[in-house]
Amino acid sequence: MFGFNKQKNEETEIPEWNAELHESKERWFTFLEKLEAKMEELATAAIPELKQLLQEDEDLYKRTFHRVLAGINGQLNNIREKARDTYEQKIDSLYYDLNAQVSVLSPHHDLLSDFRTACSDRYHKDFEGKFDYWSSQIEKTQERDLEIEYQKILNEFENIKDKFSCKQCGGNITIDKIFLIETYIPCPYCKSQNTFAPSTQARMLQNIARGLAEQRTVHLYEAFETENNKERELYHQRHELSLSKIHEKDSKVLNDIKTKMDQLETDRQNAIENAPKLYQAYLRAMYDEWNKITPDLKEHNEKMYQNQLQYK
Amino acid sequence: MEEKKVTSFLDKLKEKAQKQTNYGGETEITDAQMNLRDCPNCGAGRAKQDGVTHCAYCGFEFIQVKLTDGFYIKKEDNSI
Repeated sequence: MFGFNKQKNEETEIPEWNAELHESKERWFTFLEKLEAKMEELATAAIPELKQLLQEDEDLYKRTFHRVLAGINGQLNNIREKARDTYEQKIDSLYYDLNAQVSVLSPHHDLLSDFRTACSDRYHKDFEGKFDYWSSQIEKTQERDLEIEYQKILNEFENIKDKFSCKQCGGNITIDKIFLIETYIPCPYCKSQNTFAPSTQARMLQNIARGLAEQRTVHLYEAFETENNKERELYHQRHELSLSKIHEKDSKVLNDIKTKMDQLETDRQNAIENAPKLYQAYLRAMYDEWNKITPDLKEHNEKMYQNQLQYK
Repeated sequence: MEEKKVTSFLDKLKEKAQKQTNYGGETEITDAQMNLRDCPNCGAGRAKQDGVTHCAYCGFEFIQVKLTDGFYIKKEDNSI
């Protein structure tokens, strides 16, 4: 009568498009599982190979290693792109399609939004999380201990510094520091201008100097990172507390929560204040270390330091 | 089957990377060395105190440009 029954039926009956949603979701999940398996397989096979390659690569700049690394990163990104394209084609388009047909007020609209949330979480949280994990593992393979290379350069310098003599008079010439480019060195006896050409290995010092300085000051950088991340963590903790307050009536509990929240806010403000200080401490220490390794580049490095201070 | 595919992909990638030549040609790895240029005109040695751009004896021009202040070379190193 008056169509009341019809409306009731509509409310209880599960719409036919639900099956389609269900199927798409299942397919999407299995598809992502397959991609994740592929990603894992690629990374686990590639990581030991990359590490070995870095050891064996004889090239001065490890270019063979970097080419392979780029190839593997490309492959990994292909997998990621496949996931993104499929998400747009299969999940998003289905959602928008149905969303145009089903009213927001319809009791079944929840089915649609649940479908979207489930698919999106599976993709953006789980799949992307795994992608980030594997790509960072692959990135890590390029780390190498620069102390060893630096030590080699120092040893070489010790060996050669008294080895040279003047080409004109044969007097001994002492090389007093590690030069990075060709340099005139006057003979202390006959004042002839000798040209000293540093070895390829010694020239490489300017390429590894910054990496080495960063490696030596990594603890300071980590201290900064921890402090810097605190702000968000404390904010979320405080937010949780503010939500727990909504249905609370007991004034004692409310007061307790308020004290805790105030404390968190103070901590958060401290973190905001401290993080840049820690960054500056790190930067100064890193540049000091860098200048110690290549004193000749100090003037140039200091300009860079001033620049970097402005942008943080 | 799948396992095979990944290893063959890696092998191919490695092979290609090793075959590829570097831009700018082969890098030369040299040891540290000391050289000296004496005047090709009169055979006199080249001393820093006389400046490095011209031969102090016959005036042969070693370097055509006028030196400016650099890191190891200063403008005082120009010959008069």
